[in-house]
Amino acid sequence: MDFRQQIEAISGHNSNVCFQCNKCSSGCPMASKMDLKPAQIMHSIRLGRAAEVLGSDAIWMCVGCETCTARCPQDAHPAGALSAARSLAVRQGFRPSVKEVNIYYKGFIANMRLNGKIHDASVAGMSRLRSGKFLQDLPLAWKLLVRGRIKPPPLPFGGHGFRKLYKKVMVKEEGIPL
Amino acid sequence: MNYGYYPGCSLEGISTEYDISMRSLLAALDIAVHEIPDWICCGTLAAPSLSPLLGLATPLWNVLQAKDHGINEVIAPCSECLYHFKRAAQKISDDPKVKMDVAEVLGGQLDELPRSIHPLELLYQPQYETMIKNRLVPERDLADLKAVTYYGCHISRPAAVMEFDEPENPVSMDHLVSWAGVEVLEWKSKVDCCGAHFSLIRPDYIVDLCQKIFAAAVETGADVIVVACPMCHANLDTRQEQIAKQLGVPLDIPVLYFSQVIGYAIGLEVKQLGFEKHIVDPLPLMLEKCHSRKQAALMGVE
Repeated sequence: MDFRQQIEAISGHNSNVCFQCNKCSSGCPMASKMDLKPAQIMHSIRLGRAAEVLGSDAIWMCVGCETCTARCPQDAHPAGALSAARSLAVRQGFRPSVKEVNIYYKGFIANMRLNGKIHDASVAGMSRLRSGKFLQDLPLAWKLLVRGRIKPPPLPFGGHGFRKLYKKVMVKEEGIPL
Repeated sequence: MNYGYYPGCSLEGISTEYDISMRSLLAALDIAVHEIPDWICCGTLAAPSLSPLLGLATPLWNVLQAKDHGINEVIAPCSECLYHFKRAAQKISDDPKVKMDVAEVLGGQLDELPRSIHPLELLYQPQYETMIKNRLVPERDLADLKAVTYYGCHISRPAAVMEFDEPENPVSMDHLVSWAGVEVLEWKSKVDCCGAHFSLIRPDYIVDLCQKIFAAAVETGADVIVVACPMCHANLDTRQEQIAKQLGVPLDIPVLYFSQVIGYAIGLEVKQLGFEKHIVDPLPLMLEKCHSRKQAALMGVE
C-alpha cells in the first residue's frame, strides 16, 4: 500500500479527487501557523511525499475544527487526512516538530490511562510545566482555583474500562510506541 | 425516551458551571437524565492521533455502556465529545471492516447503538419553546440584553457527521436564547474556531484567534456572548484579560452558556446556574438589565 492509500484507508475518503481549490487553506484558522497549508498537504499526499507530510508542523498544528472538511467541494476530507497522517507519524517514529503538542498529547493519553477520564488541571499543569512555561498561567490558575473550577485530582481507582481497551488495541495493532 | 447524560471531562473540571446549569435546566424542564455509569474520556484528538482504532473505540465504549443500561439517546453537552461520538458511529456504519475491528476490541454488539445529541438539538423543539416562554419570570426580563451566539466548531460542522442545523450559519441557539426574551444580534463570527485545546499548548495562538471573535462582538454591540461548548467558554472567559491587552481595548464581556441564560430567564436560583464561577462575572450586568426594564415598566415607558 503506498502512502496515499494508507492515508485513505484511515480517513475513509479519496484524497485523489482534490483539485486544489484552496478552500481548505483559506478557511483554516491555523493556516498562518503552518509550514505547509492544508491544500499543500493534500497535494503532497497525492504525490506520495510521505516524509514531507509526516515531518511537517501542519499535521500537529491542526485543531480539528473541520472547517476544511465542511467546505471541501470534493469531499476529500482534509481534516481526516491530517488526523490519519498524525497517527502514521506516531507509528513511524516521527517526533512532532512542535514540542508543546507532543508533550500535550502524551500527557493526555497518560492521564486517560490513569483514570479513564482526564483531570484537566493535571494535564494543563503538566503540559505547562514540561514546556517550561509553568509560571505564565499561574495567576489564571489561582483565579480558577478560588472559583472552584480546578478540582482536586481523583484517586486513580477508576478507568479499568479504558486500560483494558487500550491494552486490547495495543495487542491488535501490534504495539503503539508511546 | 430514556436519556443518558455524558458530561465529559471538561464539565467535571474547568466548565463545572455548564454542568451545574445544564442539569438544573433539564430538571426544570422535566427532562430526566441518567449519567452513563463509569464513563470514560472521549479521547478527543489525542486518541485518534495515537491510533485510529483507539480513536473510534474510546467514544463507542461510552455509547455501548449507555446501550447496556437501556439508554436510547445520549445527551453530550460538550460539542467536542459529541463530535467524536457521532464520527465514530458514522465510521462504523460506513465501514463493516472497521466495525468488526471495533466490536472485537470492545467485546460487544455494535448494532442499534443509542444516538448522541447536543442539548441544543434536544431543546430546539416546539414543545420546549412553549414551555420556556410560559415560564419566563417578569422580574428576570432580559429584553434589554443584547447577545451574540457563538457556536464554534462542532455543533453543526461538518454537516455530514453532525446532521444538525446549518454548518455556516447555525440558528438553533439564536432561537433558544430569543425564547428566553433576549435580543439576539447578527454577527460574523458565529462559527469561527477559538483554538480549543491549544490553550494548553500555545496560549498565544488562542489570543490570536479569540481577539477576532471579540473584535467582532464589540463591533456588533453585544453585551454578552452566548456559547454551547465548554472549550469555547474556557478560552473566551479565562483568556479575556490577555486578549484585551493584545486588542488594546478594555474588555468586560460576560460569556454565558445558553443553559445559564434560559435558566436565569425562567427564574432558577442563581446558585443553580454557577455565575459565580466565571472570571468575568455576568450577574451585575444581568441585574442591571432586569432593573432598567423594571424602571421603564414603572414609568410606563415601553
